[in-house]
Amino acid sequence: MSIMEYNGGSVIAMVGKDCVAIASDLRLGNQALSISSNFQKIFPVTDRIYLGLPGLATDVTTLRERFRYRVNMYTIKEEREIEPETFAHLVSSTLYEHRFGQYFIEPVIAGLSKTPSGGVKPFIAATDIIGCLNFAKDFVVAGTASSKLFGVAEGLWEPDLEPEDLFETISQSLLNAVDRDAFSGWGAIVHVITKDKVTTRTLKGRMD
Amino acid sequence: MASLAHPQQRQFNPYSENGGTILAIAGADFSVIAGDTRQSEGYSIQTRYAPKVFRLTDRAVLAVNGFAADGNMFVKKVKQRLEWYRHAHAKDMPLRAIARLIQTMLYARRFFPYYVYNILGGIEEDGTGAVYSFDPVGSYEREACRAAGAASSLVQPFLDNQIYFKNQRPAPGTSHPVHLPLPTVLSIVIDSFTSATERHIEVGDGLEIYVVLAKGRNLQGLEGIRGMQELTVTEDGERVFVVRRELKKD
Amino acid sequence: METSFALTGKGYVIVAADTTAARSIVKMKVDEDKIKELSSHLLMAYSGEPGDTVQFAEYVERNIRLYQIRNLYPLRPSAAASWVRRSLAESLRSRNSYTVSLLLGGYDLATHTPNLYWIDYLGTSVEVPFAAHGYGSYFALSLLDRYHDPEASLEEGLATLKRCIDEVSKRLVVSPGKYKVKIVDKDGVREVEL
Repeated sequence: MSIMEYNGGSVIAMVGKDCVAIASDLRLGNQALSISSNFQKIFPVTDRIYLGLPGLATDVTTLRERFRYRVNMYTIKEEREIEPETFAHLVSSTLYEHRFGQYFIEPVIAGLSKTPSGGVKPFIAATDIIGCLNFAKDFVVAGTASSKLFGVAEGLWEPDLEPEDLFETISQSLLNAVDRDAFSGWGAIVHVITKDKVTTRTLKGRMD
Repeated sequence: MASLAHPQQRQFNPYSENGGTILAIAGADFSVIAGDTRQSEGYSIQTRYAPKVFRLTDRAVLAVNGFAADGNMFVKKVKQRLEWYRHAHAKDMPLRAIARLIQTMLYARRFFPYYVYNILGGIEEDGTGAVYSFDPVGSYEREACRAAGAASSLVQPFLDNQIYFKNQRPAPGTSHPVHLPLPTVLSIVIDSFTSATERHIEVGDGLEIYVVLAKGRNLQGLEGIRGMQELTVTEDGERVFVVRRELKKD
Repeated sequence: METSFALTGKGYVIVAADTTAARSIVKMKVDEDKIKELSSHLLMAYSGEPGDTVQFAEYVERNIRLYQIRNLYPLRPSAAASWVRRSLAESLRSRNSYTVSLLLGGYDLATHTPNLYWIDYLGTSVEVPFAAHGYGSYFALSLLDRYHDPEASLEEGLATLKRCIDEVSKRLVVSPGKYKVKIVDKDGVREVEL
């Protein structure tokens, strides 16, 4: 029995043209027994940053609460919103603090960072359970279907996708990956973050 | 001296894993069987060119993946059985018969299995393209496509999407094609392997794609393919071709 | 073996738990109430490691009561679930953790909705339309997938619960004999006989 596979679940994030997308499945299980088909693993951090937390479900909630607290404290002290890069390091150091008694979570971060010229730059990152950062330029995956996600996303993804095409790409990647994973699935949710809005869609998927 | 006081255990492990990935897709009147050529053990590459895909007859190609020693031995034995069949019946064994032969040969070793996943591709007696996939002890089924080996978990869901059109809805008034044309299949095969090479350390170096064409089928879809080599032995029957491509070596 | 179910319906939550207290192969007691009434509109079914269960349930009960005394209003179901979850999550990484499974059912007087939370000893908490713990869950969840209706009347809800209990009695080798059933709705908590 692997702790990382105890509850199941997967997350993927992708970069597009001036946009990013992050998506996850909605299953919560106890090993092979499914408990819920509406377990959220992706949380908004700011208007422009979303955080995916696949892994042990108790740590999903604990870390969500912890990051909410630490981001609130940052916002109050700094009197400004946290930037995705900064938040990624906050995630990393929070996880590394527990190097010898880990949270069983592999976080995925997706957001838009501000550029000096006033525009936005897509940002994605992921870490392992002890906070080793991976800044990818294309896509990041995590969770029980990660190997499947790598395969499909590597085949479907291309640079500079517009928001609607990015949505289709990330949705197809997720859906086809979780359909081959016994621990992920039972519905999916996709967030596409653009300069002026976040589009959230709940997907109908196979329920088996 | 101390070691004599304690009981010792020794074990010989007769198996190893040699990485790599294989894949086959059936068309209406053709079949494509492919595999990479890297052979590894752990983090070491033993060779960059070790074929995993073999021509059995003019209408049957077998891909073997898993423990290379078992794979090579198994192919050797299948080929031997097919030669005996030729001597006895003065013709090549039909594809579905080869599939059943492979099942019998694998199950014969149920309690000391050949540690290999087999995918058999070719042309059926009715002229249709076919793919048969096997587990190490002989469970088998005929399918339209299958990936096996180290990167099967990366490739199979991609194939579900691109070959079976899973999670895709056809445009109103249209339907998904049951069989894809040869150029599309070849593109998907090459994309699958470049993707697998990118993300899996045990996949890469070279790619061998075997194409089996049904009797009387023209070469349509293969015209633009560079460096294609014909392996056909008999005349006026099915034709076998091999296409070789480079994959990243890192 | 210990089994508990709960389901939501139109304006109510039904919580049911078996009444056996067993130790090894011996039934020590057959009329144990394993559903605590935490507040006027909050129920909690608990099961798990004997000792831990009552200890933790009473700890929760007293703290929920303390909150009500201090603030002059009770915790809403979602807030209570968060507090209980955190208690378990903190306990999990302590030297002696509680091994307790919970079903928290409540009626939210602010939103006029029934809420049900499935919580395990790790501190996993999720809001669900129906839930079960123990070996009974392997039978009840599939039945509830088929028969649960969030708009069902109380009579229909109880009939669905009866199906679950009957199925467990029929198919589970170590099935419990009796259940205690409690309901929470806008009028508060009450016990019913099936």
